[in-house]
Amino acid sequence: MDGRTGRYAAFTKRLLDSVLATSGHTPTELRRAVLARARPSSPLSGTESGTGGADIAPDLAAYVDKVALHAYQVTDEDLAALKRAGHSDDVLFEATVSAALGAALGRLERGLSALRGVASPPDPLSRVGPHPVTPSPSGRGGTRE
Amino acid sequence: MRLHAVEHGHRLPQRLKLMLIRLVSRRRVPDVVKTLFYRPEFFGGPMCDWTQAVMRGPSPWSVGERELFAAFTSRLNQCLF
Repeated sequence: MDGRTGRYAAFTKRLLDSVLATSGHTPTELRRAVLARARPSSPLSGTESGTGGADIAPDLAAYVDKVALHAYQVTDEDLAALKRAGHSDDVLFEATVSAALGAALGRLERGLSALRGVASPPDPLSRVGPHPVTPSPSGRGGTRE
Repeated sequence: MRLHAVEHGHRLPQRLKLMLIRLVSRRRVPDVVKTLFYRPEFFGGPMCDWTQAVMRGPSPWSVGERELFAAFTSRLNQCLF
């Protein structure tokens, strides 16, 4: 299924199997395509990244990209427009889960690659700019010698 | 919750659990819980099993440290933790 090993591989596989392979309101090919679209290419990516078979409707593809890259920008109007275009709640639920799972696995793989010292592809999230977290000046241990 | 089905469309066992959570906590149920309880065989079930193993299973990291990692990651994602 994928190239990951380690103590959580069985959990990853079960989740991928249920999201990608169970019968639902969308064809499994579409869910695979959505997941692959949301998952940046990675040296560890498995076969599902190479299955760009199914076409994703343009409106759904734009939504998938938004969920994958900056989910906090999704609005009520985004979902309302998709529903007006004929996508049911269950179709949107499955597409959202597939996109989020793909994005999450991509980040997990990049993180694990970084820990191993393997060069990773650029992080698409870097376009959101540097994160605002700075070390706290009081975080140095207080009164301890 | 933006999807009506995920807000109100739960099957009976999950609907009962959501009612119980509301009664006990006296608050509205967080959207993440409603999402995990919606069609759990598709997503919520295996996701919860994975989360439980990662966050509470055997690990060199303490539970508190793992929760801190999760909170930090959520902040980077601009996501309420």
